[in-house]
Amino acid sequence: MRKVLDGTRQAGPVAVDKLSAEPPEYGTARRGSLTVDLKAMSTLDPAVAAMYEASPGEVNSRAGAAPLSAGPAGPESLAADADTEDGALDVAAETVEQRRLRFERDAMQYVDQLYSAAMRMARNPSDAEDLVQEAYTKAFSAFHQYKPGTNLKAWLYRILTNTYINLYRKRQREPLQSNSDSIEDWQLARAESHTSSGLRSAEAEALDHLPDSDVKRALQDIPEEFRLAVYFADVEGFAYKEISDIMNTPIGTVMSRLHRGRRMLRDMLAEYAAERGFKTAADTSDAAGSKAQEKRK
Amino acid sequence: MSDCQGLGDCDDTRMQRIYEYLDGALTREDITEIKNHLDDCPECTEQYDLECVIRNMVKRSCTEAAPDNLKNAILDRIHAIRPVEA
Repeated sequence: MRKVLDGTRQAGPVAVDKLSAEPPEYGTARRGSLTVDLKAMSTLDPAVAAMYEASPGEVNSRAGAAPLSAGPAGPESLAADADTEDGALDVAAETVEQRRLRFERDAMQYVDQLYSAAMRMARNPSDAEDLVQEAYTKAFSAFHQYKPGTNLKAWLYRILTNTYINLYRKRQREPLQSNSDSIEDWQLARAESHTSSGLRSAEAEALDHLPDSDVKRALQDIPEEFRLAVYFADVEGFAYKEISDIMNTPIGTVMSRLHRGRRMLRDMLAEYAAERGFKTAADTSDAAGSKAQEKRK
Repeated sequence: MSDCQGLGDCDDTRMQRIYEYLDGALTREDITEIKNHLDDCPECTEQYDLECVIRNMVKRSCTEAAPDNLKNAILDRIHAIRPVEA
């Protein structure tokens, strides 16, 4: 049986109480800061969206208004050092120019990564570029609400995901790619063949020879919420809690999406390998048994 | 798929344990327990290996460089909303 976390001896950065959908006690502080900031960010979305439609002059005055009225703009604050240790940075006292420099320094390094993620959302390079541009523009406009020292990459991913859901997908007028019922059916059907065929080491080898295009295709073929969860965990290495913040879903949902998504992906890849004639699960279970014995040695 | 019950009494439970292990979501005790089990159980090791392979494939396939012009396009947009007085 499973052990229950006692909350005192976590080895990794991501210990999760498996018996509950609630985050563990120790994570409260980080979760608190990240969540609050993100919530604040998302309430800004309509305003930010409106800015896109505003004339350049209007945009300038709006963007300038918030930070200048937010704090004292005296000589001391103007002298605030943008290179101060992030935790001690006084965001309210920062000039817009300083903020822009800080944004370029800290946020622009993730362009490739956000683009890769956007490719999993938008499916073609041109839309993915648009999506990343929109997300970065929003992120910059909301950057005074990002709390230095918290997870910037996760914050950016959250904005990217929101942008995708709120703007891009609406524009596409695509129906939601899945509903729970069809997933259940699909899963049940898949689970059966999965169990009967089994997966062996030969399979791992065969899968590993699949071209990148097959892997991307397999990912695109699994429903969006599963695909993104798998992407965030496997490619970006985000912890369950971070994914839950990015996707705005409870940790329990993240874990079940990951579980199902990975099963789907694995079955899909096995199918592709079989289509390509790679020897995978077609051999007998005797062969697998003897292989297992060898390995045991 | 397997007779082994070392990581749980059903395939789903076993895979969940392997996922959590790979995701770094376990306690030190759990990690030690799973490590020990994997040392002894070729069936679970096979599942574990397969997950590692898939994870690496996904990572490899999905790591793309943004087009050259994207970064500049973003910077242009950011500069466009910079207040005049700043």
